[in-house]
Amino acid sequence: MALTLLHRHVLDDHISGFETNANPNHLSVFRRPVIFSVLAKVGQERAVGAALEAAADIAVRTCAPGEWLAVSQTSGSETVAGQLSAIVDASSVDQSDGKVLLTVSGPSVRKILAKCVAVDLHPDAFADGHSTNMLIGHVTGNLARTGADRFEIIVPRSFAGSVFEELMEMGREFALTAAFAGD
Amino acid sequence: MASLISCPHCGTRPKEEFSIRGAVVARPQPGAKEDAWYRYVFIRDNPKGRYQEYWHHAAGCRRFLVVDRDNLTHEVFAVTDATEFAKNAEVAR
Ligand SMILES: [Zn+2]
Repeated sequence: MALTLLHRHVLDDHISGFETNANPNHLSVFRRPVIFSVLAKVGQERAVGAALEAAADIAVRTCAPGEWLAVSQTSGSETVAGQLSAIVDASSVDQSDGKVLLTVSGPSVRKILAKCVAVDLHPDAFADGHSTNMLIGHVTGNLARTGADRFEIIVPRSFAGSVFEELMEMGREFALTAAFAGD
Repeated sequence: MASLISCPHCGTRPKEEFSIRGAVVARPQPGAKEDAWYRYVFIRDNPKGRYQEYWHHAAGCRRFLVVDRDNLTHEVFAVTDATEFAKNAEVAR
């Protein structure tokens, strides 16, 4: 019997019914990003980190010493798996189905996030390109700055609904809108 | 979110991101006498003042840290990665 599997994003039910015209403060959800977790062998953290940074079309998010997330919105998972397996002394696991990728952007983004995270997001303390794990609401996630007024959040799939609802509530006074990217 | 701990890997973070895992006690050698193991597992001094504890940075780098602090004044003297701490203790021995 042929089995047809339909891809449904975990936030599908949360987003349906929202205003689709994006306001200046906007939250985007990416339907199918490729996210790998990468670990370096002890003592090889620097070399693996440098090789990751050099990999084409992969954004690197720092989690811990010798641990990263490799994110791609353009390459497929086979391509990324191939790139990562070519890095000496690194091991990687595909986490794409276990993680949810969101971006929040707009002039009030820091004010919104200040209500959800306890980390100083001033550009002097948290520069463009910086990323780290932290509590976002009550959930452990990875937050990265990808622009002056743009942040990227990666959270475990099963907690994404809770983080999404919290972000929308904190963003309500700034008219934060939400939609899937590309919809 | 009041108490701030400076993780050597992640920077300054609220204590909510950590899980306190108890006093830093040297583990006895595998062949140590039973009372040494009994002391290691069950007996704690619970001092008032300067104290070294394992803190697990559960919501950050997920590394075990050694937080050297005063539990009366809340002053934090040092935060070290537990691996570093063990290495330094090895050198000092
Ligand atoms: Zn940390």
